Amino acid sequence: MEKKTLIDDYEPGPVPSPRPVDRFGFVKLDVGNNIPEAVVKDRSVFERERDERRLRKWRKMIGVNGSDWKHYVRRKPNVVKSRIRKGIPDCLRGLVWQLISGSRDLLLMNPGVYEQLVIYETSAAEMDIIRDISRTFPTHVFFQQRHGPGQRSLYNVLKAYSVYDREVGYVQGMGFVAGLLLLYMSEEDAFWLLVALLKGAVHAPMEGLYLVGLPLVQQYLSQLEQLVKEHLPKLGEHFAQEMINPSMYASQWFITVFSYSFPFHLALRIWDVFLFEGVKIVFKVGLALLKFRHDELIKLPFEKLVHALRNFPEDALDPDTLLPMAYSIKVTKRLEELTEEYEKKNGKTVQSTKLNENQSPAS
Amino acid sequence: MARRMDEEYDYLFKVVLIGDSGVGKSNLLSRFTRNEFCLESKSTIGVEFATRTLQVEGRTVKAQIWDTAGQERYRAITSAYYRGALGALLVYDVTKPMSFDNVSRWLKELRDHADSNIVIMLIGNKTDLKHLRAVTTEDAQSYAEKEGLSFIETSALEAINVEKAFQTILSEIYRIISKKPLSAEDPGQANIKEGKTIVVGESEANQKRSCCSSS
Ligand SMILES: Nc1nc2c(ncn2[C@@H]2O[C@H](COP(=O)(O)OP(=O)(O)O)[C@@H](O)[C@H]2O)c(=O)[nH]1
Ligand SMILES: [Mg+2]
Repeated sequence: MEKKTLIDDYEPGPVPSPRPVDRFGFVKLDVGNNIPEAVVKDRSVFERERDERRLRKWRKMIGVNGSDWKHYVRRKPNVVKSRIRKGIPDCLRGLVWQLISGSRDLLLMNPGVYEQLVIYETSAAEMDIIRDISRTFPTHVFFQQRHGPGQRSLYNVLKAYSVYDREVGYVQGMGFVAGLLLLYMSEEDAFWLLVALLKGAVHAPMEGLYLVGLPLVQQYLSQLEQLVKEHLPKLGEHFAQEMINPSMYASQWFITVFSYSFPFHLALRIWDVFLFEGVKIVFKVGLALLKFRHDELIKLPFEKLVHALRNFPEDALDPDTLLPMAYSIKVTKRLEELTEEYEKKNGKTVQSTKLNENQSPAS
Repeated sequence: MARRMDEEYDYLFKVVLIGDSGVGKSNLLSRFTRNEFCLESKSTIGVEFATRTLQVEGRTVKAQIWDTAGQERYRAITSAYYRGALGALLVYDVTKPMSFDNVSRWLKELRDHADSNIVIMLIGNKTDLKHLRAVTTEDAQSYAEKEGLSFIETSALEAINVEKAFQTILSEIYRIISKKPLSAEDPGQANIKEGKTIVVGESEANQKRSCCSSS
């Protein structure tokens, strides 16, 4: 399956004046540097050839419509892991995300369920969802048009989820996750992927994240704080001195898995890995960002520091430098220990929290 | 405490912006700190802050304003930020009666988590939407009087009364702070001058602790 065509149910209406957009469909800001030109620049011949080689390998690996995927993952988990870390080819991304997460199986096992949820059920969260629709990726062409196809699918997916999982309902931030998915797959596919993320098919990398009290977010923030102290002691010390709490900058890292305010091409690469390896990539990328800016950050006083932590410069956000750095930071074992400690102190955060992927074989 | 030239100020006041999601908190903040209204703004995830330094009652005051996500689910994270705030701007949307009805719940939040002497101002935002107004000025006014809050109506979109709202609450805070006797027993006063988040009424030792350790 290729990228969804965005105009299948397009209704003529007030069309926003055409503004230049980047390759992902975000309106280019004339001042902002959300989409660094350097990264969008024409690919060299070398890069093009490399991408074509990769694409061939990927097609072979997943088979026709994903038929070989499970087999391949079982046989060669480490090959899969390392290919994912290099980035899933954009034209296969939607399909591969569904394969990794197991959402494909959920879809097949539940025919008609999505339609039922969208058409017949009502949700207590409807007003909350509507209020956020135009505030989700407001600079993306697909979501910009009021009541356009993008906004409608976003609403449908979120409403359907809030009915399907009444305990979670709707939480601000989910829209960015659903929005990101909708740029790569149909409404129904996006819905089941959301279910896979939060409820689990292969593993549930976001399970418990949006529960009342946001207990898992709190746990992650406290673990991040500890990891900063251990990996970047000088910075940890400086944070303590300046009374920086991780909730001042990292809540959205965990709640939206970097899809809220990071350059889209970087967010996609993080999502590739997140789906396969789970939340530890969020810690790794976070630590890599801090490490990259370490020498500047330790000099900044409180306010400038918070600002810097929410606005990383272009060079820190290049996936090809940031991600290798993130992969080299080892957190898995320590995270497990910290989870145990945290749960001893605060009680079990979420019943079946899988910090680590269990079935997916990444080490 | 030595401060750099560009950070000259006599007082640092921490103020929180609270109220239901969508009432215009983030735009009130951007209007006040940057004179901007953003048509393409995102919903707030967690907390954010912005500052502006201005003259209040002849003193240079730096206002450090914390904007919060309005959704109930975020309360666990955002309420930690009420502590140490000297003022709270409690915003509702004049076109959304529900957001006005919820004001009492927000007041309770403040009573539970903020310092007891916090200055609270009720703000009815979006007055530019005249044809959609659903909460009258009189109702809000009398509610504010009953609860002992100051009250103002604003439009972040048309930049009406935004400046005045912030000026008013900052002046009120100033009047309360400047009335406090300056003494060794009152570290709150001394802390005001420090270039960090201030926690009035707490000891220096406490102040060194994170102002919002998540709990
Ligand atoms: N007409 C009008 N719309 C406003 C005003 N202030 C905010 N808005 C709009 O209301 C929506 C929510 O605003 P926002 O600042 O994000 O609300 P918050 O959730 O309280 O931070 C946005 O679409 C804004 O454009 C106002 O004064 N007048
Ligand atoms: Mg906001």
